[in-house]
Amino acid sequence: MRARALHQRWLKRRIPAAQQISLDHRRIFILPSRAGLGFLLLLAILLVGAINYQNSLVYGLTFLLLSLFWVVLHHSYRNLAGISLRATGGRPVFAGEQVPLGLLLQSPRRERQALKLSWPQVVPQQLDVPADGETAATLYYPTARRGWLQPERLRIETRFPLGCFVAWSLLDLNWRVLVYPRPIKAPLPVHRSGKGQDEAQQAPLAEGVDDFQGLRAYRPGDSRRRLDWRAYSRGQGLHSKIFAEPQQQSQWLDLEQTAGSDLEQRLGMLTGWILTLEAAGRPYGLALPGLRLAPALGESHRDVCLRALALYGLEEDA
Amino acid sequence: MSAAGLIPRNSLAWLLTAQVVVLLPHLPRLPWWVALMWIGCALWRVQIQRMRWRYPGTLVKSMALVLILLGVFFAQGTLIGLDATVMFLLLLFMLKLLEMRNPRDALVVVYLGFFILATAFLFDQGIPLTLYQCIPLLVLVAALVGLQQSSGRNDPIRALRSAGVMLLQAIPLLLVLFIFFPRLEPLWSVNMPGGTARTGLSDSMSPADIANLARSPELAFRASFEGDIPPLRTLYWRAMTFSRFDGRSWSQDRLLNNLPAPELDTSGEFIDYRVVAGASGQHWVFSLAGAVTEEPALRRMQDFTLRSIAPLNSTFGYAARSYPSAALQPQLLSQLERDRQLALPKQGDPRARKWAQELRQQHADDAQLVQALLGYFNQQPFFYTLNPTPLGQHSNDEFLFDTRRGFCEHYAGAMTFVLRAAGIPARVVAGYQGGEINTRGSYVLVHQFDAHAWVEVWLQGRGWVSVDPTFQVAPERIEMGLEEAVRGEGSFLQDAFLSGSRYRDVAWLNEARLAWDNINYQWQLRVLNFKSEQQMGLFRRWLGTTDWQRIGVVVLAIAGAIMLLQALWWLRPQRQSGSAQQRAWVRLDQRLARLRLQALPGEGPRDWQQRLQLALPWQRSAIDGFFDEFVRQSYAALASGSGSGEDQQRLQARLKALIKALPRKRPAAASELLADQPLSHSDKPL
Repeated sequence: MRARALHQRWLKRRIPAAQQISLDHRRIFILPSRAGLGFLLLLAILLVGAINYQNSLVYGLTFLLLSLFWVVLHHSYRNLAGISLRATGGRPVFAGEQVPLGLLLQSPRRERQALKLSWPQVVPQQLDVPADGETAATLYYPTARRGWLQPERLRIETRFPLGCFVAWSLLDLNWRVLVYPRPIKAPLPVHRSGKGQDEAQQAPLAEGVDDFQGLRAYRPGDSRRRLDWRAYSRGQGLHSKIFAEPQQQSQWLDLEQTAGSDLEQRLGMLTGWILTLEAAGRPYGLALPGLRLAPALGESHRDVCLRALALYGLEEDA
Repeated sequence: MSAAGLIPRNSLAWLLTAQVVVLLPHLPRLPWWVALMWIGCALWRVQIQRMRWRYPGTLVKSMALVLILLGVFFAQGTLIGLDATVMFLLLLFMLKLLEMRNPRDALVVVYLGFFILATAFLFDQGIPLTLYQCIPLLVLVAALVGLQQSSGRNDPIRALRSAGVMLLQAIPLLLVLFIFFPRLEPLWSVNMPGGTARTGLSDSMSPADIANLARSPELAFRASFEGDIPPLRTLYWRAMTFSRFDGRSWSQDRLLNNLPAPELDTSGEFIDYRVVAGASGQHWVFSLAGAVTEEPALRRMQDFTLRSIAPLNSTFGYAARSYPSAALQPQLLSQLERDRQLALPKQGDPRARKWAQELRQQHADDAQLVQALLGYFNQQPFFYTLNPTPLGQHSNDEFLFDTRRGFCEHYAGAMTFVLRAAGIPARVVAGYQGGEINTRGSYVLVHQFDAHAWVEVWLQGRGWVSVDPTFQVAPERIEMGLEEAVRGEGSFLQDAFLSGSRYRDVAWLNEARLAWDNINYQWQLRVLNFKSEQQMGLFRRWLGTTDWQRIGVVVLAIAGAIMLLQALWWLRPQRQSGSAQQRAWVRLDQRLARLRLQALPGEGPRDWQQRLQLALPWQRSAIDGFFDEFVRQSYAALASGSGSGEDQQRLQARLKALIKALPRKRPAAASELLADQPLSHSDKPL
């Protein structure tokens, strides 16, 4: 473990994390592969044959293959060198899902072939990058826990052209993805907290789903389903339809409503409820110790709630 | 290399192609069923690929193994030795196809291919084969490339091209290694390929043997001289001497061969020459009379010939020095030697024996008797022919007195017989006479049709003296060669239509033939025969030393320089990718990574700028200076295509100013300002 930590520290110094990394000699490692060692063994046998049979042409072949080995070393290195990799973000997922991580590979001048991208325990992905072009890839990384996910260092390796050498680099591309708790299906809580009811009574009509009330200018976070596409097509700009919401339908979700002693499970139940209510179009508020989010509806509200659940009890800036 | 995964179709095509081209040079040496077997294995493997057939089971595989062992045994008559081993390896190479499931197996096939490629050189080292072998080499390397290519690609031309480029790049280092790698003595003795019938002298001589050999246009050896080439008529290349006669054929005397070599007077004039002999499978080598050599692989024999310790199974070059005027064993023959070189069978050839007695009575002096004998050949109607009349039981009698038509071995054999019958020690010498001068390389080519037999007679005080009865009958044979001697007969190379030597009269053809021969000779001399002696000669000429330590320093310097140049060329800095703005962005991002202020995924220039302004309030003007220029240029580039050089310089200057203004460490208070940014809703960096 200690060696591993040391290795990680050394890597961190040598190849600092960055969103965009261009591979150069400081960042590329290269060693003969097992196939390369086999090749050297073959050369040793050929050399013995050349010596024993005093055969100049076998000597020549041996030396040609040895020189080829030396040449391939550089070609393997050059297949990686100069590539620049850029993380193009990922989107939040629920724990247990695979998080898609975008990656853009750019290759100046040369074509790059057979680049293998992998994490330990993740099926590697192999791709080519055309000369002076770029290749976009989406890598998938498994998630287990909620919170901020920082994937391990990505291994990019190549054995091209002959498989005699393996050149690789270990990169931290600063991917930082939020992982929501794993949603758990559970029946919605029947009674609402009194406090929530008071607030609901005092509040004017909240935005709901039932009675159409009018239009207002689009605000980021408004549900796409409620956009007034007809007005948009007439060129009148983007507007959201406002519906009046019967008050009694808004629902407070509180951590205290959940049963059980396992925090993760309780957060999962809350997550499940939020998804259910969002799908049903019923406004919901979220109450966590030290945090109250007033009932509302819409994707941005949902994201704020889920984010709060994802980071509950964890350090914000993981 | 992943052991899992199947072999893609294009890789299989590569491997099959590679097998064909690797096997091709071996096929002429092997029985016909080997080619059939390859076709069978390849078909089976293709059917496996098409999911029609299955991989063979263990039982089938072990049966196949037994079958190929039997096949090798019946084809070669043995299971050991080089020929059998190579054949066995070839068959395994084919069978491996049926066992090739994943890329690792494919790799084994390719590596075996390299090995089999090398074994072809043990059997043939000619220029045509060497040139041909470039094809399998290229295909094998391309097959390796094909195995590494992403499976979706099917790009054989690209694979071939990169294989070719890499091989060409390997050549400089190859040359250094070839010249400077020390040539070691064999680590253990190995048996050379053999068994194939070769034309050339044999270790016995019956009437018509050499006449048959003289129909062959094949090359026997080449010789180059230090200084001018001596006249061709003086070039009597001695290979061996025949001292035993059984009534029909002459052969070597084993007992005499085992005697120690007599002293040789090395005070007179000498000729230095180099001979490169083809593989004959025999021990004898060719030298002029009175030869000595420093070649460790050769020894000097009792009859003043040179002989190789191991049979000549590959091209062999050696240097020798001859003292043509030195007397050979002038003082005294031992009783054993005398008896052995006078011995005749008890019966046979009564007329010749009787005639010998008559000559003995007429000439008391040995030298006079020899002259009389030569005169007989000169004056009687003897006829020099490649198509002599077949001889019966008393071959010497019939030849001397009845048919009088014969080739050199008839004259030499009959003369030696008569000399011995007259009580003068004599022996037949077999070898070659004359040759053809190639003026391009100034060397002498000696063909099989230059094979010759003549007589050595021992005279008291003068030792062994060469006499050539053929010269009395057909002096043009010695002066100008066989072609002139048998011109009237039209029998010169009459069966060898395609031989270049047959068409010496056609000037351009002859030129081309000699030019090609010169290339071959230089190839043998400089490449095939590049052994430690040649290497040392080269070092002495180039470096003035043969001390390995000093050579090592030079070699390391040269190899190091080549490697360094190559490496520098390959590792030269890359032209940066993308536009000037992208490069500036990347550079700033890398610099700010130290302050943990790099751009966030998906963050646009304005957002980043704001964040930086908050985190680095003191550098605000530099930040704004850079980002304003950046944004302006980015949009200008969108509108007009690309930015001007002036723009680039300005951006560079702003970037420099910003980077210079950046603090070494991140201001402590700013840590909380690294707020999480929503991952969506922001511009992509340009």
